[in-house]
Formats: sequence, structure tokens, C-alpha cells
Amino acid sequence: MHLISPELLFVISIVAGFIGAMSGMGGGVVLIPALTLLGLDIKHAIAISIVSVIATSSGAASAYVRDGVTNLKVGMFLEMFTILGAIVGATVTLASGDQGLFIAFGVVLLFSAATLFLRPHDTGYLHRQDGVSRWLELHGSYYDHAAGETIQYRGRLSYVGGPMMFGAGFIAGLLGIGAGALKVLILDLAMGLPAKVSTTTSNLIIGVTALAGTSIYLVAGLIDPGIAAPVILGVVAGAFVGTRMLKRLTNTHVRRFFLVVLLIVGIEMLLRGFKVI
Amino acid sequence: MTGLQNKATQPANTVPSGADAGQQIPQQEHVMELLIGYLLLAGVLASVTLLIIGLVWQKIITGHFALNYLISGMNLFQFVVSDFRTLLGDASFGPRIFVNLGIAALLLTPFIRVVASVFFFALAERNWKYTLFTLFVASVLTYSLFLR
Repeated sequence: MHLISPELLFVISIVAGFIGAMSGMGGGVVLIPALTLLGLDIKHAIAISIVSVIATSSGAASAYVRDGVTNLKVGMFLEMFTILGAIVGATVTLASGDQGLFIAFGVVLLFSAATLFLRPHDTGYLHRQDGVSRWLELHGSYYDHAAGETIQYRGRLSYVGGPMMFGAGFIAGLLGIGAGALKVLILDLAMGLPAKVSTTTSNLIIGVTALAGTSIYLVAGLIDPGIAAPVILGVVAGAFVGTRMLKRLTNTHVRRFFLVVLLIVGIEMLLRGFKVI
Repeated sequence: MTGLQNKATQPANTVPSGADAGQQIPQQEHVMELLIGYLLLAGVLASVTLLIIGLVWQKIITGHFALNYLISGMNLFQFVVSDFRTLLGDASFGPRIFVNLGIAALLLTPFIRVVASVFFFALAERNWKYTLFTLFVASVLTYSLFLR
């Protein structure tokens, strides 16, 4: 049972969804620390967060998929790895102590802060494909409105990307977050896909991965509908606004703001993990 | 076709093997993109609508939005079945049923997307590789959501 008012949960979730959409990292990175600060234990916070991740991912993916930028085959190949990772990750969470989860969360946030400044490669997407990636049909094209041209690409190193996605799924299931930054990193840097394809395909994968993690938390009895309902509504509303605001802000402003947010929250979670605060 | 033309056709710098090959495959993939896109959208909208109905109803009858109950360790199948039993005549019909169904709709959204993909790859594209891949994902999710 919980004592946090639904109104407060709704407002916090709007902020989390808003920041999550603007940063591209999902609402969990803000939602989980906020819920734990309000007195919810971290495992319940993780379980609630991962349900809300399904909502934001599905909402965003519905638009991206219809626009034709998402590569469905890349997504569906990699989902095989992420769902297994999420199930293992969620199972580990159930068996873990709270302090370990706080530390893991802090480390992932600080790592995410570093990835904000990794620049995606923006040229040369027609890689020489390895046999496995060719067999998996990991190629495609999309029309880039900003560049005014059709971008063609071929994915590579799928035999590396797949197992790495198990790790991304593990972190998603373990910590109840989308782990979008990590997934985009794998799609972009390892598999050589264009940034837009990486981001939108990652979004598609996140929903199914979160569902796999949720299945474990549901059976464990950690999904509290009284908390989940206002959180889902708030995160969806916040993400809806955040996605539209994103178009008005420059990348530099967004990145600076989120660097500060991630550093503060990451260090705060680490300190709580080590029982300094 | 929208401005963002679809794609995932054949490797760049290659030529389709026949006149139909270049047309048919992109059209099929675009149908799949629309199907998946609208499925996801419908699922999220249904979930949000049910949750709002449940919370507003709770507010009307109790004066507050708070719902204090736990789903005690059941899989999604048991969860949905218990909801429909309540919906079909149980005396405890009330705001909870809408909140529960809203959460169930959300959880079923990506699952239905995966199941739809299996049928699409098997029946429309006849792509055995991706039929197997999506079938694997659907099987793991079915086990963890409904059987575990």
C-alpha cells in the first residue's frame, strides 16, 4: 500500500515524461528517483516505471513506424535478445538488495550523461555488409526531409549487436527504464545505422522489452494499479508535450540541461546506494 | 505514400530482379508499418481512455482518485480473466475494473503487435526467417505473460 496522492504522482509523471521525451531517454530516469524520494521502495518504483515505458514507447513508435523511418526487421531481430535480457534483469532485481539497485541506477545515469556528447556518425551508411547481416536483410532507406534526399543504408555486425542488445535489455529489465541511450549507441556505433533509424528502431524495441520485464514484476505482485494509473497518464501526457517542445529547442540547450539533470540524479542515487545520504 | 517513403527493400546499389519485385515488397512493408503503427496507437488510446474513466469514476463515487489495492501475483491471463469475470456480472463492478482493463490493454498492445507481425511475415511476406524470429519473441512473451 502507498500513501502518495494520485495528484502528486500525476504531476511528477508529467515532468518525468516531459524530460524523458526531450532527452530521448524515457521517463524512468526521472520517475524512479522521484518515486523513491517520495517513499516508495525502489523495486515497486522500478515495476511501475517499466509499465509506463510501454506506454511512452508505444505512443512514440506508432508515429515513427507509420512514417517509415523505423527498420522493422532490425527491430524484430534485436527484440529476440532484448526480451531475454529484460526477463533476466527483472529476475535479478527481485533477488537483489535495494542498495545494489540504487548503485546500478546511479552508474547507468552517469553513463547516459556521457553518451549525450557522443556524436552519431553522419556519413557513410552503405557499409560493406558481413554475411550474417546480409542474410538477416538488415538494410533499407528512408526519405530525410531535412537533407531533402533518400538515405540508403546497410547494417553491419549484427552478430555483435544482437548479444550487446541482450545487455541493453538486461539493464532495462533490471532498472525499469527504456535504456534507449544504450540501444541507440549499439544501433548507431556498432551496427552503423543512421541516427534517425537508430532512434526510431530503438523506440520500437523498448516497448516489447519493457513488456518482458513487466511480466516478471506482474507475477511478483509489484504492479500497484493505484500508482500505475496516474503514472501512466502523467508520463503519456508529459511525453506528448515534450515531443512537440523538442522541435523548438536547440540540441545544445537540450544536452546541457540533461547533462545537469543526469549528473545530479546519478550522483544522488549513488550516494543513496552507498548510504551517504 | 507519405513523404517518408518506405524502404527496407533490397540492398542499395542493387537492381530488383523483376518489375514486380521493386513494387510489391515496399508496398507490403508499408502495409505492415501502417498496421503496426495503428495497432500501437489504438492500444495506447484504449488504455488511456479506460484509465481516465476508472479514475474519474473513482473520484465521483469516493471524492478522491486514490485506489488502494494490489494485483497479488497473477499473470496477465489470470489478470484479464478476473477482470472479465467482474465485468460479466460480479457485484464488485466499479472503477477498478476500468483501471485494471486499462493496464491490461497497455500490456497487450506490444504483445498483439508481435503476434500480428508473426502472421504478416508468415502469410503476407512469406519470409520464413522473420516468421521464426517473431514467433520466438511471441513464444517467450506468451510464456512469461500467460503461462508462468
